This record gives sequence, C-alpha cells and structure tokens, in this order.
Amino acid sequence: MADNKILLDENEIPKRWYNISKDLPVPLSPVIHPGTKEPIGPQDLAPLFPMELIKQEVSQKRWIKIPEEVRDIYTIWRPSPLYRASRLEKVLKTPAKIYYKYEGVSPPGSHKPNTAVAQAYYNMKEGVERISTETGAGQWGSAISFATNLFDLACSIYMVKVSYQQKPYRRNLMNVWGAEVNPSPSTKTQAGKKILEENPETTGSLGIAISEAVEDAATHDDTKYSLGSVLNHVLLHQTIIGLESKKQLAKVDEYPDIVVSSCGGGSNFAGISFPFIYDKLKGDRKDLKATAVEPLACPTLTKGIYAYDFGDTAMLTPLIKMYTIGHDFVPPGIHAGGLRYHGDSPLISLLYDEGVINAKAYYQTEVFEAASVFGKAEGIIPAPETAHAIKNVIDEALKCKKTGEEKTILFNLSGHGHFDMGAYDAYYNNKLEDYEYPADLVKKALAKIPQL
Amino acid sequence: MIGFLINPIAGLGGTVGLKGTDGNTYKKALELGGTPLAAQRARVALSDCYTLNEEYLTCSGTMGEDVLRDLKLKYKIIHKNKKKTTAKDTKKACIAFLKMGVDLILFSGGDGTAKDIVSVVKKRVPILGIPSGVKMHSSIFAINPNTVKDLLCNFHNMELSEGEILDVDEKSYQADHFNVQLFGYAITLKAPYRVQGRKNTFYEVPEDRSKEEIAKFVLEFMEDKTTYILSAGTTIKKICDLIGVEKTLLGVDVLKNGKVIAKDTNEKQLLKIVEQSSEVVIIVSPIGSQGFIFGRGNQQISSKVIKKVGISNIIILSTPHKLSQTPHLFVDTGDLEIDKKLSGKKRIITSYRMTTLRIIKSP
Repeated sequence: MADNKILLDENEIPKRWYNISKDLPVPLSPVIHPGTKEPIGPQDLAPLFPMELIKQEVSQKRWIKIPEEVRDIYTIWRPSPLYRASRLEKVLKTPAKIYYKYEGVSPPGSHKPNTAVAQAYYNMKEGVERISTETGAGQWGSAISFATNLFDLACSIYMVKVSYQQKPYRRNLMNVWGAEVNPSPSTKTQAGKKILEENPETTGSLGIAISEAVEDAATHDDTKYSLGSVLNHVLLHQTIIGLESKKQLAKVDEYPDIVVSSCGGGSNFAGISFPFIYDKLKGDRKDLKATAVEPLACPTLTKGIYAYDFGDTAMLTPLIKMYTIGHDFVPPGIHAGGLRYHGDSPLISLLYDEGVINAKAYYQTEVFEAASVFGKAEGIIPAPETAHAIKNVIDEALKCKKTGEEKTILFNLSGHGHFDMGAYDAYYNNKLEDYEYPADLVKKALAKIPQL
Repeated sequence: MIGFLINPIAGLGGTVGLKGTDGNTYKKALELGGTPLAAQRARVALSDCYTLNEEYLTCSGTMGEDVLRDLKLKYKIIHKNKKKTTAKDTKKACIAFLKMGVDLILFSGGDGTAKDIVSVVKKRVPILGIPSGVKMHSSIFAINPNTVKDLLCNFHNMELSEGEILDVDEKSYQADHFNVQLFGYAITLKAPYRVQGRKNTFYEVPEDRSKEEIAKFVLEFMEDKTTYILSAGTTIKKICDLIGVEKTLLGVDVLKNGKVIAKDTNEKQLLKIVEQSSEVVIIVSPIGSQGFIFGRGNQQISSKVIKKVGISNIIILSTPHKLSQTPHLFVDTGDLEIDKKLSGKKRIITSYRMTTLRIIKSP
C-alpha cells in the first residue's frame, strides 16, 4: 500500500518559530511614519498591537519560542499532514515527486489560525478586550474569530463588501465563533463613510477594509488591530508550516528542489518556504527554487513597483517598502481567485527584489482548471487562492515530464475550497472572466504624475 | 431553392461617415465618394457555393443576376427591375419568392432592406442577411460574408429561431440621436457563432459609473503626443464628457491634446489624419449584445485605417455589464486578413486600471 501520508506526533510540533529577518541578504528598509516621514518606533505601533508582537516585528533573533499555551491549541489540528500527490503524478505522467502540506485540516479550514491563535494569545496576555480586523473572502476573518473565541476576546471584522455578499457561509462561521461582521466599506468608521460618499456602489477592497479596522482599533482604548498577512510577526508564526514539512520530508529522505505557494500578502508562502530559504541563504541549498504565485488580476510582485506605499487605502497605516500596485487598487468584484491585496510582505518583497525567490502570475480560469485536475486526482478541493500554487506545480511537473527530471516539488495546500463552491460554480458555468492588471497602461498613467 | 436579392445601394454611406443610405443620403454619399458594398459582399459570401447545387431565384441586373452569373451559379430570374431600383422591387421579388416556394431568402443589405423583406415575408420563410448595410442592428445577419457558405451548407437541417428586425430613425441618427425601434420579427437560422444578435443598449446606474471609471483610466494614460480615433458609443463618449469636450455619439471623432480635432469623420479624413500623425491609437467599444468591435456602426474605421494605425494600437473598452450580456465578440472589416489579425485573445478595459481578457472570434 502506498505511503502517501507523512505524519508527525503532537510532541513533534516545533517549539520555535523561524525568523528570517536575521538571515536576510540586505537589511529591511524601515517602516516610515506618514506624518513625520521618520522611521516608526514601538510607541507608534502601541495603539494597534500588543508589545510582544511589536518586539517580534523588529526582532533580530533567529528563533523565537512558541508559548506552550499556543502549542497546546495548535494540537487541535497540528501537526498537519504532508501528502505525496501520487495520484496527481500519475495523471500528469510526470517523473516529478509532488508533496503538499495540507493546512485545510484546521477548524477554519486554512493556514490562517497558525498566526490568529498566536496573536489572540499575546493580546489576551496584555489585557486587550477586543480585536478589530479586516477580511477579504473570509479566510482570515474565520481564523481570527476562531482564535479570539478560544481566549474570550470580542472580535469586530470588516469584510470586503463583495465577499460579504458572495460568501455568506464564511461569514456565518465567524458568527458561530462570536465575531461581529461588518460589510466594508461600512458607516461605522470615518474611512468607510468617506469611501461610500465617493462611490456608494463600490464593491470594497482589502485596502479599504484595513483602513476601517485600523481606525476602529486606534479610536478605542480596549481594542487592538490584528492582521492576517504582510507583517513580519505574522509571517514568523506561519513558519511552523515549513518547519513541520522539513521534519516530514526528512522522514522519507526527501528535500524539495522547488517550493511553491500562492502569495497574496505573503503569509502562506512565507510559512512553507522560509525554513527552506534559510538553507538557501546559508549556502546549503543554493539551487532551491521558491516560487510565489499570484493572480494576473492582482500581480503585485510580477507587475508592481518596489516602493514605499501605504498598507491601506485611506492612508492610515505607515509607509512600508514593498512591491505594490498602488494602495487605491480595487480588484474586480467577481474575481473569484482571491489574493487581492495591493501590496506584499516587506520580507517577501525584499527576497524577490534580491532574486532569492521567483514569482509567477496566472489568469483565474487556468487556475480553476488546475484546481479541478487536482481535486479529481487527489480528492481534496482546494481554495481558489491555493489553486494558484497548484497551477504552477502542474506546470513544473509537466516540465519535468518533458525533461525527464525527477524533481521534488513541495507546495502549501493552504486551505480547502468548501466555502468557495460558488466560485467553482461560476467556473463550471463559464461565468468566470480572466482579469488582467494592465501594468503597461498604469505605468503610462503614473509617468505623468509629477515626482517630488 | 433560395430566393436571392441584393440592395445595390446598401452600405454606400458607411465609409463616408453617413448613418445610412435612405432618401437623400444616397446622393450625398455618392458625392462624398462612397462605394456600395452589397454586390461585393455578396460575391464574397457566394464565391465557393457552386458545389452546393442550390438553385437561386433572383432579380435582374444589379439586384442579383450579375453576381450569380459571374459566379456561375444556377439561377432563374423571377423579377425584372429597371436600372434604378427601389424598395418596391425588393417587395415584388419577395412576393415572387413566396409564390415559388423558396426554402430561404438570402439578401445582401442592411436593416432597411431587412425591413422591406419582412414587410412582405413576415415569418413565412427564414431569411438570412449578408451584412453589407450601414445600419445592421437586426438579429438576422450572418456575422460576416465568409460565414454564409457554412450556413448555406446546412440550412436545410438547421434549427430556426426568431430574429428581431430593428431600424433606427435615420433623421434622428443623422442628428446624433440613437433611437432604435423594433419593426417586427422574422425567422432566421439559429447559429450563435454565425448569425449576429441584436444590438442592446444598457441603461443602469452602475453602468454609468462603470463608464466613468473606464473613462477616468483612459484619460490617465492618454498622452499629449498621441492622436486618438474615438469610435462611436456612450462608453467612449464618456471620455470626452469628463474633460468637457463634445463628441458625436454615433460618429467617429478624433481627439488630440484634449481637443476634438475632427468630428464625425469619414474614412478619407481618417486616412489623412493618420498620415499626418506620428502616433495614433484607435479606441473602440463593442456593440452591446451583438459584439462587433469593427464593422458595425464604425465602418469609417476601415481596414485601410486599421492597417495604417497598426493592430497593436487599438484599445477596446467595455463596461462589465455590457460584456456579460455580449457572449461573443466579432470583427467584420471586410478584409479577411485584418479580421484574422484582430481576432484572438484581447484585453478589454472594463474598469479603472483593470482589463478583462476575451476572445474575438476568428472569421
């Protein structure tokens, strides 16, 4: 019988997260206060985050201890299984060996609770009573409400309006876990009201929702803000994925030649890849290929510019140096593929700029086609976001079919698609449009803006 | 047996920027150097049809006989007309077609000719148009002349469907007001990739906002050094509305440096402007529901103009709603080579800084 599932015991859950900031080829650029234009300090972030997370955000320690209370909660679903996709390999007739880390086993169905639980814990320890946050399709919203519920914290979620309408069941999941969910832009914040005045029919965006959540936290003493991706401490928590994967692959005497994951804000890509990129940066695995996969509708890395930009639309957040397609970016309303954030993690942006990682972008119909091939072969229905990675994995596997190489490919199956069957329905009824961000035309537009 | 007729003056106004060929417009079109397209398009449509072994009943001279004779197709004249033909000849021919029991009426013309035919034929026999008029909003025309042969090969076995006969009040049209009216219904061949749908106009609040978003983006990337040929339609007109410049709704204007430098142009004028400009871009929008990007409503942007401007210098705009109601996109410039180059996967600007990829069907 084929040994397709590689498991670890609960006591093999890593005891430390890996902090790639320590090993970067060049230092990260400082985060800038939009008012003073000076690098921000801990006091600037204190209204939004608990001190322990601020420390993690700027830490230069390579390894950071995972609190036992957090590991204890992780045991609800961790260690997550690593699968050999042998059925997919057969369908593709590829000599490549494909492995995937399945994070869909968590109660919210994705990798997001790896950081949600940690963040809720640190907030609880510092006496915070409420968390405010944003969510796009609802993966992050479900995860944070799952986590805040475990620590008896209140939770207010600003959900991008079009997703609030199109994905009611994720919203209901948040309600089960006690969260209050608001369609964004809402009338609860000044940021939301301003956007609604300008465009009452807006479908909303992550940038707008972030503005609302940040304003909510900044204007309430009992509330802190929580983010599902982009920031260093969030990516830090997600490295548990890659650290477990390393142990699991070692059990079958394997190490990846290629690591792939989808990339919106960067947390799931960082999670699976950073522990392996550590080896590459050390010089042990110079040929490791790590690919971040994004949609052509929101091609932050492949078509964006590496510059300082706001993390949100209302320009409430500090200026972060990252790959961006502009903080006023609003993705098309019926883009089913997710991954719609205008920017990217500063860590991932730096690694991409330095050539340590690659990036690839696809249209959503080809992504759903790949998802269907995977679902049929392996049985697991991937979330549309995750399917971006699968498309690249299939491409790499087919390359191996041509060349005859037996490469080992590892990817992060970051979430299941059970709440996204509406998107699959649109795909099967040929209602999905292929969107593409017209970077060349936007470049022309930006060239006309005077540079100060 | 196929009843076949040509409206000899159909299409005369197209490349010279007139909105039709009814009434006095015919003389004006001739003065401006317009050429009728109907016979030429009919020749393209029937050029390989001698293998089909169909017999054609037709009218004398320019109303059908000349083309069939030249193509060596089997025909019989059932209506003799004078040299100067009128709508009466079309109607008399149709009466004869019905008497002889034809299986299909094939005509070369536009909405006006379709209206004349249906006034006699009603729904008694299926009709199919070879698109060669200026106005072709009705849903009984083949996508382009090249698809006619495929349709004629199979029409005996094809499903039929109801088609709408639309016409635009030409006086209003000339005065830049689009007022399409439903004249009646006909029976035509059911073939979505081969027979065009009707034109639809979309009126919705979100539609207006979409047009604004698209126009805002276009204005952002427009450059002073570039000359822009702006095709017809409300989506494109919005660009000029936002900068407070007048644009003809149904005509083709030329914009440079934020000013309209030529209004309601014809092919000749466009060719001259292109000759004199270093960089030219054509901005077009598909006809709602019908899906034509070139060849309907903008024949003055002819294949000659497109060749000079360059295929890569064409920008297509459409609101998402229009696109969702327009299942197929087509081009029909009359030049098969250009049509093929224009077809394939193309980006369409559907929102502020966003495009949608769609396939323009190859002839």
